[in-house]
Amino acid sequence: MSFDVSVILGALPAILSGLQITLGIWLASTAMGAVLGFVVAALRHFGPQPLALALRLAVEVLRGTPFLVQIFLLYFGGPFIGLSLDPVPAGLLGLSLYAAAYFSEIVRAGFAAVPRGHVEAAQCVGLSQAQIVRRILVPEMTMLVLPQAVNMAVILLKETAVLSIIAVPEATATISAIGSQQYAFVEALFLLAVIYWGLVEACGRAGQALECRLSKFRFA
Amino acid sequence: MTPRLFELMLKAAGTTVVISVASIGIGLLIGILVCAARLSPRPWLRWPAGLFVSFFRGVPLLVQLLLIYNLLPAIGLTVPSVVAALIGLSLCTAAYQAENLRGGFTSVPRGLLEAADMVGLSPWQQFRRIRAPIALRLTVPALVNEAILILKASSLISVVGVIELTRTAQNLAASTYEPLLFYAVAGGLYLAINWLVAAGGSLAERALRRGRLA
Amino acid sequence: MNKRLFVQITLGLGLMMTTPMMAQAQDALARVKAAGVLKVGTETAFAPFDFIDAAGDHAGFNVDAFAEVGKELGVTIKWVELPWDGVLPALEAGQFNMVAGPATITKARLERYRFLSPVAEATVAILRRAKDDAIKKPEDIAGKTVGAGKATAQLAQLKTFAATLPRPVEAREYPAFNEAYADLAAGRIAAVANSLPNIAFVASKQPGTFAVVLPPFGQKSYFGYIGTKKPDDQPLLDAVQAALVKIKADGRMKKMQEKWFGTAFDTPDVAPEPSF
Repeated sequence: MSFDVSVILGALPAILSGLQITLGIWLASTAMGAVLGFVVAALRHFGPQPLALALRLAVEVLRGTPFLVQIFLLYFGGPFIGLSLDPVPAGLLGLSLYAAAYFSEIVRAGFAAVPRGHVEAAQCVGLSQAQIVRRILVPEMTMLVLPQAVNMAVILLKETAVLSIIAVPEATATISAIGSQQYAFVEALFLLAVIYWGLVEACGRAGQALECRLSKFRFA
Repeated sequence: MTPRLFELMLKAAGTTVVISVASIGIGLLIGILVCAARLSPRPWLRWPAGLFVSFFRGVPLLVQLLLIYNLLPAIGLTVPSVVAALIGLSLCTAAYQAENLRGGFTSVPRGLLEAADMVGLSPWQQFRRIRAPIALRLTVPALVNEAILILKASSLISVVGVIELTRTAQNLAASTYEPLLFYAVAGGLYLAINWLVAAGGSLAERALRRGRLA
Repeated sequence: MNKRLFVQITLGLGLMMTTPMMAQAQDALARVKAAGVLKVGTETAFAPFDFIDAAGDHAGFNVDAFAEVGKELGVTIKWVELPWDGVLPALEAGQFNMVAGPATITKARLERYRFLSPVAEATVAILRRAKDDAIKKPEDIAGKTVGAGKATAQLAQLKTFAATLPRPVEAREYPAFNEAYADLAAGRIAAVANSLPNIAFVASKQPGTFAVVLPPFGQKSYFGYIGTKKPDDQPLLDAVQAALVKIKADGRMKKMQEKWFGTAFDTPDVAPEPSF
């Protein structure tokens, strides 16, 4: 077993482009997942019964099946029902839906954890329903769910590696391809481990820092 | 889908369940040790345990599995596919379970321990009678969650040569040109398994809630 | 089935402890003969060499060919199925005795691995959709997206050929050729570049969906089975090589080629020097 750093340096541009795609898909799907998750949680709470039930079913299915199976279904099954997406859009859509299912549960738990007393107090001083949501529920809920949301972002970052299987040219696909071309299997694996480990640690630290910054908004 | 192909899918689901359940069990044992090390006052135990948790939570399982399958032989441990998958899943879930357990232990109310001190319980008695039961009760939901996560994560172990449910669906989707059908059936089987795990978890929670203290 | 899995796990754990010691005692041939099992790594998404058929069984040219090799050596074959880009690293790690695949014999691979007697021609050609008239000759892929398997020689050939074309070709890399075929059928890519025996088989199975574009664009090359260059493995590989040569000499190889490729290839006993 030998270790050749020059393999990594020689392929730096390709590695960076893979990394860029990983980060792009990760950030975009986390953001879309969070927004969509919020909407789903709100609709499940305020929406009509049948819609709430359908959304609940969708969330259960997305949380109860492996992401790999979902992405296979979307990417390889999609063309059979007239939905033929390229790898990157398919990856983005798949990961966003997966993220939305988890985020919606996080948001739901967050809303449930906001003390009733705060809402009642707001009603007493005459705030409207919209004001209560905007001024009380959302800020308090955000603080409550921040740790889980960061955790979810980390999970999504690692799930992007699965997209290599549907030919998305992200970090895992690019780096393992370089490893194969140059027979530098060990180097490629180590590089992948270090990159993801570093990103995950950085994300975790950033989450903690954010929690500290925002802790003054914490009421519940 | 012919009955024989469905049977193949069921068998593959069996492989998924056996490997996942074994990994969760082994992972729980390792997780308890790692958690104990993380809560230890000795830095030489705490520090490596922290590194273990950070690494196995920080690196995608796909990469971990390949590291185990391709690099362990370099130090004389040629692990066959099934064992490599078991090691990978166990270590990965151990890191998460250790953190869940740690969360459970640190949320045992201080007052209870002070009271135990007052009535003269030894540290071991405190652990066995108070801290462990409460921590266990607090971590059962997390354990069920973790079991479901590992069942789903096991869809990746085909990268080290274990032909489980997802891989079987992939093979049959390719040979029959019916991806929609086979991936949907695979998804349905995962849902059914996970639903059973969740139902079992609720039963366990209810059983543990009797005689609840905290 | 699950009982078997438990046995596998226990045996595996046992093996884990004992293999390092055995490795020093004998060479690979003696160990394979003693165990009665030849472990072969492969990818089951490379029809007609190696695939899962519509009945769910592992089938193909490799299965037949190794059954004959097993007979010659007096051992049974144990298959280890991996994604292709994981097969060669696992061979180097010692997870199995050799690789079926087969792999195209190239200069770079010859430097690193030992190839056994070629089993088929590997020259690369283009597979297109049956109804797509835009691609009449290989050069027509200019400016289009073409798929190939990750870590394959066919991908490398595609890139080399693409570099000679007036407009750039986007080479899309798939974990296995099956996914590339599926994407071609779905219209996501314009063509797939793979060896002629492979795409001829695929087109014959789905004549309404796929068609082969002739002539092949790649340089003439051969498919062979692979082993390592570790001294410990050489006696075993010598034995497999002898078995393959014997299978060729007595006409069994020709029969298997006709069964799986619809045509027999004139494959030399020893691989000629590859041109790339």
